[in-house]
Amino acid sequence: MTPAPKSGRAVGAPRPAEGSAGAAPLVALKDVDFAYDQRPVLRRIGFTLEAGDFVGIVGPNGSGKSTLVDLIDGIHQPAAGEVLVKGLPTRQYKRRDMAREVALVPQHFDLDFDLDVREVVEMGGYCRGKDPAASGDPDQMLARLGVADLASRRFSELSGGEKQLVVLAQALMQQAPLLLLDEPASALDVSHQLRLFDLLKELNAGGLTVLCILHDLNLALHYFDKLLVLSDGEVAAFGPPDDVLRPEVVEAVYGVRAYLHRHAGRTYLTFSPRLRGERRGRVHLICGGGTGAGMMRELADAGYEVTAGVLNALDTDEETGRELGLQMAVEAPFSTVGEEAHAENLELLRAADLVVLSAVPISHGNARNVEAAREALAAGIPVWADEGVRANDFVGVVDELADAGAQFFAGEEALLAAVRGRSAPGAQASVRPDPPLDDGSVLPPGGVAT
Amino acid sequence: MSKLARTGKWPGILLASGILAVCLVLALALGPASLSVGRIWHLLLAGPVKGDLDNAIFWQIRMPRVLTAALVGAALAVAGVILQDLFLNPLTDPYVTGVSSGAALGATIGIVLHMTNLPWMTVLAIVGGLGTLLIVWMAARRRGRIDIFVLLLAGVTISYLASALVTVLMIKANQDMTAIIYWLMGSFSGRGWPDVRIALVTIPFMVLPLFFTREMDIMLQGEKRAMELGVEVERNKRMLLVTAGVLTALAVSVSGIIGFVGLVVPHIVRLLVGPGHRGLLPVSLLSGASLMVIADLLSRTVISPNEIPVGVVTTFVGAPLFVYLLRRGRRT
Repeated sequence: MTPAPKSGRAVGAPRPAEGSAGAAPLVALKDVDFAYDQRPVLRRIGFTLEAGDFVGIVGPNGSGKSTLVDLIDGIHQPAAGEVLVKGLPTRQYKRRDMAREVALVPQHFDLDFDLDVREVVEMGGYCRGKDPAASGDPDQMLARLGVADLASRRFSELSGGEKQLVVLAQALMQQAPLLLLDEPASALDVSHQLRLFDLLKELNAGGLTVLCILHDLNLALHYFDKLLVLSDGEVAAFGPPDDVLRPEVVEAVYGVRAYLHRHAGRTYLTFSPRLRGERRGRVHLICGGGTGAGMMRELADAGYEVTAGVLNALDTDEETGRELGLQMAVEAPFSTVGEEAHAENLELLRAADLVVLSAVPISHGNARNVEAAREALAAGIPVWADEGVRANDFVGVVDELADAGAQFFAGEEALLAAVRGRSAPGAQASVRPDPPLDDGSVLPPGGVAT
Repeated sequence: MSKLARTGKWPGILLASGILAVCLVLALALGPASLSVGRIWHLLLAGPVKGDLDNAIFWQIRMPRVLTAALVGAALAVAGVILQDLFLNPLTDPYVTGVSSGAALGATIGIVLHMTNLPWMTVLAIVGGLGTLLIVWMAARRRGRIDIFVLLLAGVTISYLASALVTVLMIKANQDMTAIIYWLMGSFSGRGWPDVRIALVTIPFMVLPLFFTREMDIMLQGEKRAMELGVEVERNKRMLLVTAGVLTALAVSVSGIIGFVGLVVPHIVRLLVGPGHRGLLPVSLLSGASLMVIADLLSRTVISPNEIPVGVVTTFVGAPLFVYLLRRGRRT
């Protein structure tokens, strides 16, 4: 039995320092293992939450997030290690005392019975006893969440978003200093999601400690002070979002490619579905002025290792390549391709299985890139060129490329369609690629024989 | 949905009490020898008197029979509410836990062994019923928790087993077969004051859950959510299961197996007053009593001097009422 104050203090109000000064952290997990029957779910979990923390939990499905939250609420007991709430093992709490310390908003909440919203919310005050002054007013709580009008409705008739708020109201009726939320945003549209997280932020500002499971990594980046990344039952990272959600971490934990973008002073993550360890071949792109950006992304997403060059710094393609983390040969802005960049380009190009030339306008400034492509052909690496490049050739080098054996395809869309539809044209992990088409020819998609 | 749900529990309880009072008076008044309401009042005030035929009919035959029916109906309805909400399953009735089949087995053994004197039949039925509950309970217990799903399966399985044993006993002792079949169909025929005394034991068990209405409300959200909100779920579950088991065993031991009341009364009442237990439990208790008293009245008057089995009447009365209320409930 733990002493629980019976005050009618408003939710989220700062908690008075209790008992001994420098008291135990609100929640502490020490080397916690947990298994359902024999199946291990959590291993060696250790972290602490201090009063006032605003922490998100992220991690792939099945990584143990919900189980972790249930452990903190004392629903489960650890197989090894300790889960302490205010310094006391959760096993020593009676349920009612636990409910006064920890409130949980479950992921799934359904009620087959026809109860009023007010009745549902009022149940949250159960742990505070029968005295209405201590257990709080359900109508007031609904009003605080901006949904006072729901009070007399049937719970079963509410929309998903409304139900979520009602369950939150129910949990807040417990007046516990810690609020756990298990994917509260999963049933919500974007506006309700933002409203919910703003609300949580507000409650946190009022002193409520929040620990929230969520799936949206960008929401996690923006809203939370700290993130806990769970991977396969272990803590993969715990700390400020910017330190924790680095692309390498996301790739290691989720097995997808992650890219970090900065826009208007904020950081965003985008993802592509490429799985770890999958390498389909290496493609070198000769492009510029945005003619290659789409192919870059698509090819990288499809699992190809993409290189590019020579590109001018700050060019659209160069920026895209940088976001995607590609290896590129880069020249200074608005400059003719110089010796050093050319050499670098040749090096990248020789390592490729396929060279693709986009419909980039060819002038004296970048004619050297076409020259490089001819060297690739000489080295036995196929070169595919966008049909459109012929029209944009202002120096007449593309015809020479065609004579040397380059093949043409009918624009970016044709190439990308082939990439999406089946394994991409020609790019296998061998120096001389296998025939990309079923009939055995090495015609590029929509290609024109030369 | 009725407006009763929003106006609190008292209108529902008062209305149900009124209906029960009317049912009791009707059941006491009607029969082969009908008594006027004035006469009933007079007999009630006079108390049991020897040598007066009306008085004997009233005090020795009708009163114990009607009271037994009322108590059994109330007990089955309360057990039905408890079990439906515990299992979160609307098709649950007091008989799924195997308690009634166990009680039937006990009673059958009593009949076969010719221990049909009242205390023995009842004791055997109660032992059979609660013994079954114990077996089912042990089967469903895992690491100190009662797995409700396993409990349901074990209960149904044990029911079949007990019924199979009853069948074997019936064949073995075919001179008692009629007695066994009549007992199994359930009846209040010939129930006297000793039966009433047994049925009265149900009263504390019907009152007990009234102190746990808030916990029962919260447990409607599922066991896990109830734990999260601070309810000692396991303790409440144990208490409620034992309560429902004892109510069922006691009811079956005096009346035999009477179906439909425990299944349908809770549903009807939920449609009228909502699922909150502060209203649901007392109104179900009163309505279960009313339905059983009326069903028994019909069973002994419709084709008098023969009797229709009361379980048949509860079904004939309850089923159309339930369907009507379901349809009405959907529309509003």
